[in-house]
Amino acid sequence: MNTGGWLMMIASWTVILALNAFCFYRLLTERPAGQVTHDDAPPPPCDA
Amino acid sequence: MTDAPQDKWTSKLGIILAVAGSAVGLGNFLRFPVQAVRNGGGAFMIPYLVALVLLGIPLMWIEWTVGRYGGAFGHSTAPGMFHRLWRNRYIKYFGLIGIFGPIVIFIFYTYVESWTLAYAFFSLSGKYAGAADQKAMAGFLKSYQGLDPAGPFRGLGTAYIFFLLTFAANCWIVFRGISKGIEWLCKWAMPALLVIAVALAVRVLSLGAPVNPAWTPLGGLGYMWNPDFEALKNPDVWLAAAGQIFFTLSVGIGVILTYASYLSRRDDVALSGLTAAGTNELAEVVLGGTIIIPAAFVFFGQPEMEAIAKGASFDLGFVTMPLIFTRVPAGAVFGCLWFLLLFLAGMTSSISLAQPAVAFLTDELGITKRKAAIVFVVICFVLCQPTIFFLGHGVLDELDFWGGTFCLVLFATIETILFGWFFGIDKAWSELHYGADIRIPRFYRYTIKYVTPLFLLAVLGTWLYQKGIDKILMKDIAAADRPYVLGARLMLVLLLVGLAVALKIAWNRRRDVWDRTEAEP
Repeated sequence: MNTGGWLMMIASWTVILALNAFCFYRLLTERPAGQVTHDDAPPPPCDA
Repeated sequence: MTDAPQDKWTSKLGIILAVAGSAVGLGNFLRFPVQAVRNGGGAFMIPYLVALVLLGIPLMWIEWTVGRYGGAFGHSTAPGMFHRLWRNRYIKYFGLIGIFGPIVIFIFYTYVESWTLAYAFFSLSGKYAGAADQKAMAGFLKSYQGLDPAGPFRGLGTAYIFFLLTFAANCWIVFRGISKGIEWLCKWAMPALLVIAVALAVRVLSLGAPVNPAWTPLGGLGYMWNPDFEALKNPDVWLAAAGQIFFTLSVGIGVILTYASYLSRRDDVALSGLTAAGTNELAEVVLGGTIIIPAAFVFFGQPEMEAIAKGASFDLGFVTMPLIFTRVPAGAVFGCLWFLLLFLAGMTSSISLAQPAVAFLTDELGITKRKAAIVFVVICFVLCQPTIFFLGHGVLDELDFWGGTFCLVLFATIETILFGWFFGIDKAWSELHYGADIRIPRFYRYTIKYVTPLFLLAVLGTWLYQKGIDKILMKDIAAADRPYVLGARLMLVLLLVGLAVALKIAWNRRRDVWDRTEAEP
């Protein structure tokens, strides 16, 4: 495997492993009770 | 209100593993490495990751959001959800694609899945151990499929028994429902699948060079990852990367809509959708890319590998890999693990395909869960038969094209346009962030509205221009096979008409629910 191959493989793996680490860390860290979520606004209560 | 209480997920991890299980399928381990090798090696990852960011992740968020939104109004399937996004009298019929597509995929996918179970058994029993080369192993597969009467199998008996076992296993999970069936299976099958994949990857990387000193696992990784940046000038490479992202994430099928409809109103969809996509990518890029190509390279070297990679990715799994396992120590065990891996990946996908139809029968037609599962099982069992008995006449390929390719792109295009334009990007953005555990970068607002639908329209338009007419007129199909392909098409039309009639009945029956304006809390 040449240098380019190593670089592409390590970069791709890093991106994907970092994405998984971020997601599972946030997922498994319970949201404290009462903490505001990232709502911009209440969702549309109706579609009329 | 719905007529019966809906089944619900018991944990957030449960639905994420279920969606990831639906996405992780045979394609992660068979299709991805071949696509990478054919399209620039490591350079393929550039368009691949761009497509993940601009197409895959936005589509994931759209489906999770639409599913949860529809579920709040008592809808578990696309027809009702589409009606919620845009009050048009005909739009619900386009939503039928989200029930029709999964049924069509289910009726051929369970048969292919049964081959993996059979091969896991053959690995342990040494049934294919006598096949000495690619030609002999291909003959073994053809004989198993009933296409070569001179081979080791006389007729379709063995294949049919494994099909019945696989079909029964799927039915059992479907009967048990969401929390006791799908969630239960995915909670142990997904970790098991990842452990098996890691074990196989470690085994492949420690193979050494048993045939030729130059044919090493590292050489195999190089064959897959060494970048050819010239390939990036070819638009087909970008299209192939986008296609791979699209098909690997199981978006555009309708399954995620149904799964997300069982979420509670304030459950997060932003982080959950991203996590499901990430888990699928882990299985595909890190594990899928480390098993099949390096293993084949070690035993066949670059020249033969070129020919193998140019062939069907399917052959790589069912012809090349079993052959490799006949040549390694403890090959029976590793062969069994390989096919068990494919079986688990297939199983977590196929059970998800049953859900939109079962949910439609239960929620929109008011049939009990048990009766809905029986109706689904009986219809699918009947529809599976042409795939099994007319495999050699292109029936499976035809179903795969319409159900597994065309319907996916069409459905994703419609839902993306409905979400970003008819529902409106402002409402869509608020809905996506409602209860969200993460804040999504603002550029996704524009990506969802402009980039994703434009890209999907371009794919559909390109296909219609380049291949559409030829495909519809069956120009690429041998004259002897055309009656079978026509029969398959007739079967699909009848299925679609049947679903349209059922939808009309559901509409008349639950008009009050379909027109209700207040979401459930």
